[in-house]
Amino acid sequence: MADKKINKRDIAKLPNEWCREFSVLVPSRESGTVAMTRWDGKDIGFLDWYRNTVVPPRDSFLPLIEEMFSFYKDKDGYNIELPPPKEQKQLIFGIRPCDARALAILDMTFNDGYQDPYYLGRRQNTVLVGIGCTKAYDSCFCTSLGNSPTDTTGVDLMLTDIGEDFLVEAITDAGKELLTTSSLSKATEADQARAKVSEETARQKVTRNIDIRDIAQKLRASFEDQDFWQKVAAKCISCGICTLLCPTCYCFDINDEMSKAQGVRCRSLDSCSFPIYTRMPMENPRTEKWRRVRNKVCHKYEFYPMLFDAIACTGCGRCIRLCPVNWDIIQIIESVPTGA
Amino acid sequence: MINSARQQRLIDEAKALLKQGKVRWIIGFEAGSLKFTTTPLITADAGDTSRLVINSFIVNNLSNFLPELEGRIGIVAKGCDSRSIVSLIQDSKVRREDVVILAVPCSGLIDLAKVEQLIGKDRDEIDAISRKDDKVIVTLAGAKREFSISEALYDNCLACELPTPQEYDILLGEPILPSNEPAAGQKKLDELKKMSPEARWQFWKKELERCIRCYACRNACPACYCQRCFVEETEPQWLLPIPHWQDNLMFQITMDIHVAGRCTDCGECQRACPVNIPLRSLTKEMYDIVADLFHFKAGMDKEALPLMTHYEQEEAEDLIG
Repeated sequence: MADKKINKRDIAKLPNEWCREFSVLVPSRESGTVAMTRWDGKDIGFLDWYRNTVVPPRDSFLPLIEEMFSFYKDKDGYNIELPPPKEQKQLIFGIRPCDARALAILDMTFNDGYQDPYYLGRRQNTVLVGIGCTKAYDSCFCTSLGNSPTDTTGVDLMLTDIGEDFLVEAITDAGKELLTTSSLSKATEADQARAKVSEETARQKVTRNIDIRDIAQKLRASFEDQDFWQKVAAKCISCGICTLLCPTCYCFDINDEMSKAQGVRCRSLDSCSFPIYTRMPMENPRTEKWRRVRNKVCHKYEFYPMLFDAIACTGCGRCIRLCPVNWDIIQIIESVPTGA
Repeated sequence: MINSARQQRLIDEAKALLKQGKVRWIIGFEAGSLKFTTTPLITADAGDTSRLVINSFIVNNLSNFLPELEGRIGIVAKGCDSRSIVSLIQDSKVRREDVVILAVPCSGLIDLAKVEQLIGKDRDEIDAISRKDDKVIVTLAGAKREFSISEALYDNCLACELPTPQEYDILLGEPILPSNEPAAGQKKLDELKKMSPEARWQFWKKELERCIRCYACRNACPACYCQRCFVEETEPQWLLPIPHWQDNLMFQITMDIHVAGRCTDCGECQRACPVNIPLRSLTKEMYDIVADLFHFKAGMDKEALPLMTHYEQEEAEDLIG
């Protein structure tokens, strides 16, 4: 396989070249948290400190706030204006394998019977350049879900740390087209071997495991086990962190921002952790938090597999790491009764 | 009393309370699943009490869970938590006879974000963090580094006015006096106060632009106990659920006004925030204003009437004069 490599000192040349064609996003602390941010043309220092973003790259496809269309009323009635299409293509540099896989999981929903033009428009307009992990958080558990710290699912181009260089591997045709810079040299067999070692080392760093065998069946059998769900939900404070910052969560709400005869229809992320999420005129089927916790777990590990034959979790560990009370989905999944 | 001894005493007391039927629930802390974390332990089972811990990472204000549970509750409380409990009692959200307060004199909690800043590494790479007198000792790749507590504790812990609960049933360990350098906990606020109003406006704009409206600040706060928050009202809709920064600011300011006189500066709002918004700078300012204007500090005096439910004629002079 004709893989390339690039010396780490030259790494800034890659986004430098790509930014002529793409709006390049890289991991950055500029906003005050870690998020994918428009590259400023200089700072590539994230390679030294970056493990993963706090805000998942999903935000570049399904943003926290999205203007769907604006409207105004004149003498002939209501008029609708769609937002201008984004001409420039975007390139995300440094997406982690767990988050790239998460996009493949989101595609199942947004590219199903209903084709969501906003999400799909951005997906088709974006190239993903992954960087394999060399370090893990102690909340990472990607290996238990068939993923790996150097997995290439969903990315167009993959960089793997092999010491002084990155091995650069084109996964798709879009990835191949990115391999034009003169800073790349041909990777040798020894480089390929180093990449294998790097992959294995990274795997070893993921220390947490989760047993997902028969998990959908177990959850189905335990659905009515109120004692179990009440117990695991006891310390949850029903905030939206684990859902709003989950790379595979996609629930949204739609609201009009209006003043007089004009306005904007916005969709913004919503969370099934909130009691208001299911409030209806007559009743709310999930007023108690154990029902909401159950829904969240089952949606990822039972309902999504039922619908799409895939678990809607990639083991990124954000829900564990960012939780104010250390509610830990691994412990929950591990303790689901067998139902027998 | 050394830590392991008071932890054992906590376990014994909690176990006895459950076994003798004196409480239905114990709320305390157990070891968390990640490095340097603890997690709330809420249990009715005496067997679980052996997992209770006391250390420098018992961050949550557990009084938050009191209004949710039915029956008598034994609760582990640091000074700030005990103030929240007193405040909840004053507000008739909890009855004094329904709680058994297991008081933990607290010398301050270690702020992992500050430690990460100090050593320039993620917490995942740290081998150990310990506390000795006025030092925090961080072990990194086998080497020990020492920091003063003023560098490594949470700001609200540095400004703590009540390290040892006043209101308790069982006291675990020797009382600890407040630090005589509360100014160390005001640094961020002092910086903000020195800014011009325009610069401060820009500061908050940037900070609140990344708010994801997860409401962790509200939900982690024991003083925020409304059954239906104003942000969830739909008729009228006070605030859209779209997290534009202006609305995020509106939410924060309204929350601060709502918890004025109830906020005990426990710091949970800021700690819960997943995107590092320095929310304590808002709540502490409100806390100081309440202290100045009304000479009131939430949860410090259980005989006091709740701030916002009564009026004294002499207040008018201060307020309007």
